[in-house]
Amino acid sequence: MKYNHLKHITSAFITLAIVLFAHSAWAKGKKIRVVTSTPDLAAITMAIGGEHVEVTSLARHTEDPHYVDPRPSHIVKLNKADLLVVNGLELEVGWLPGLVVQARNKNIQAGAQGYLDASSVVKLLQVPTQAIDRSQGDIHPGGNPHFTYDPRRALNIAAAVEKKLAALDPDHKKDYAKNNESFSSDLGTVIKTYEDKFAKLSSEQKQVVTYHASTIYISDWLGLKEVMQVEPKPGIAPNPKHIATVLTAMRKQNVHLIFQESFYPKKASQKLAQLAKGDLVVIPGGTNVSDGQTYIKRIKTMADAIYKAASK
Amino acid sequence: MMLQPHILIKHKAVLWTLVLFALLYSTQAQAQQPSEPAPDDEVITRQLEEADDNATPPKQLDTQDNPAQESEVTAEDSAPVQEEEELSDEELKALEAALAEDLEAQEDTPSLATTASTQGFSQSTMGRTLQSMNPDISLILDVAAAGFSNTPLQGGAHDPNQNGFNLQQLEMHIESNVDPFFELQANIVFSQFGVEVEEAYARTLALPANLQLKAGQFLTQMGRLNPTHPHSWSFLDQPLVNGKFLGGEGSRGLGMEVSYLTPLPWFVELTASSTMATGACCARSFYGGQDLGVNSPTDLLYTTRMEHFFALSDSFSLLWGTSAQFGPNPTGLGNRTEIYATDLYLRWRPLNNPSRTSVSLQVEAMHRRRQTAGDILVDNGGYGQLVWDINFRHALGVRYDFVEGIAGGLDTIDPEWTENRQRATAQWTFYPSHFSRLRLQAGYDNPGWYERPILIAMLGAEVLIGAHGAHGY
Repeated sequence: MKYNHLKHITSAFITLAIVLFAHSAWAKGKKIRVVTSTPDLAAITMAIGGEHVEVTSLARHTEDPHYVDPRPSHIVKLNKADLLVVNGLELEVGWLPGLVVQARNKNIQAGAQGYLDASSVVKLLQVPTQAIDRSQGDIHPGGNPHFTYDPRRALNIAAAVEKKLAALDPDHKKDYAKNNESFSSDLGTVIKTYEDKFAKLSSEQKQVVTYHASTIYISDWLGLKEVMQVEPKPGIAPNPKHIATVLTAMRKQNVHLIFQESFYPKKASQKLAQLAKGDLVVIPGGTNVSDGQTYIKRIKTMADAIYKAASK
Repeated sequence: MMLQPHILIKHKAVLWTLVLFALLYSTQAQAQQPSEPAPDDEVITRQLEEADDNATPPKQLDTQDNPAQESEVTAEDSAPVQEEEELSDEELKALEAALAEDLEAQEDTPSLATTASTQGFSQSTMGRTLQSMNPDISLILDVAAAGFSNTPLQGGAHDPNQNGFNLQQLEMHIESNVDPFFELQANIVFSQFGVEVEEAYARTLALPANLQLKAGQFLTQMGRLNPTHPHSWSFLDQPLVNGKFLGGEGSRGLGMEVSYLTPLPWFVELTASSTMATGACCARSFYGGQDLGVNSPTDLLYTTRMEHFFALSDSFSLLWGTSAQFGPNPTGLGNRTEIYATDLYLRWRPLNNPSRTSVSLQVEAMHRRRQTAGDILVDNGGYGQLVWDINFRHALGVRYDFVEGIAGGLDTIDPEWTENRQRATAQWTFYPSHFSRLRLQAGYDNPGWYERPILIAMLGAEVLIGAHGAHGY
């Protein structure tokens, strides 16, 4: 019997040793796990990280990043993350902070090595310089947070992601730099192409009405002029009186283009476009990473759609 | 000889495991060979795109790279500050035009090397000027007008409970990270007659092994609704079972809590806490209003919870929890109370619906056993509610409450509660914005020991100011 016990113990030890060995071997070749709050950030990170990273976006491209369900399954993803890339400027304030605390992962807490706030590396627009309160709508006190719509700002984010990844995974530093170089050059070409295209439009064609004040960075990039918003104030649903004002303005100033993200209600915008004899362009709120779309592709699709309607 | 084949099999098993792991390892090692990057979609799409890009603008590729971003980088820090002021439309337009011109004017400046760095943008970032060390502070006011056809019998401390106007609560929520190791959350509730520390606790941020500790005064993880505050509830009042079994303020107390996130691929969290067993408001099935002191660890209240989350699909999700409480009661030396509870939260929220519509079903059931002098009192209770958030402006909800009574006045806490009690509630919510809501609620409350049911009508308003932290699922 004693002999038998010994056997049991030995085989247990051998198995344990094998498991540990296999685990460490696995851990060595393991990818950097990145969690991003929005799919645009995920797409940019994928472009820089390439094969060395495993990227998950908590929000889907069809989801309004202000209102994501704080599913506990997100906690599991955050718990295992090596790097968390957030948009910042309180875009995710309604759902992400609690999840990050519950994730019990000290590496991704604000300010830690594995935390990147994209808003800290881009030049921001609509930063309130006067006193604000919520009677002005759902205003982000730090500035407009929807900057990933602008590919020029994406270049800055890409550079910051490269830096972070290189710090977390120095073994593949060169690959990240190489990826960023090719991403930046590809994206740079896209930026220039559309800037040239839009520059040829008349100033009347470049006037737009947008649904939410989330499109300012697109307009900034393409030189569009946002005449008005369909929402009377950010986050306040449109009312007939305001829509009438928008319509009057559109007719008076000859505005024929409305654009908005897919996650906002479309009826008011559709009606407006119809009455003003213009077009409504619905742009996705993010890169469709789950179907393999790249950030560059997303920007091109978006700019093409706007151009097509604007150049009519 | 009898043992021989057995051992042989064992050896074989070990051998096979070895072979298996060796195989596994070798395939893994192969996969890691840098010379053979997997031909994944990413690379292919990248190549496709490159081809695509080359095709459309053949001239720019090698000459001027991305002048647009340079212009951003070199843009002066001072200019945009004025441009971002919220002025009239006309002025804004003029300024934006000016900005666009600025950008155009600077288009033929520097090269790619400088642009790739983040320096330019981060230095001209203006959002950071708003930094402060103040914690997030928010104030939530809940007021309601109510009418009852009979003497009201509301169990919750924040329920509208009188004819006419009611101040449900004025809640001040304060939270912030303390340092890299702790966060502090405090919920101070003001009523017309005083102030109470509803919750005030420190929670760890950086414990190893997926552990988290909480210390202070907090709501226990006894069911799904209990650990949440009234402003995150769909209805204007508390479910009956929570009021009767846990207390008007819910189950809460001074103590410590440890929770553990298991490494399973789906969300499983285990929580255990120990709190003081006193307080008529918040430990009424235990010591309640009678403070008998703590003479041994068995005089404390213990709460455990296990929570599972299943993302059934992109749109459907299910949260299932089981909780239990154990503690002393004041009916005699060594007498104990136990409460067992389970809850289910099934939520449907299509991800691509622009109106943020969702339907959620929430059910909680509790079973309570109390030792008294020479008897064991057993009762059950629960509620089920269905809430339909039609869009971000309107929501509808219905709820059904059921709680058993104990005959013969044996129940010393609720001697009048001798029969079953049922309540049906319907409710409509209107959200003028994300920070305010108006609620109209109608109820039919039927305590078996009342001659006539109580008809209830309530109209409540809730407003929130300040920075309020994110709510849980």
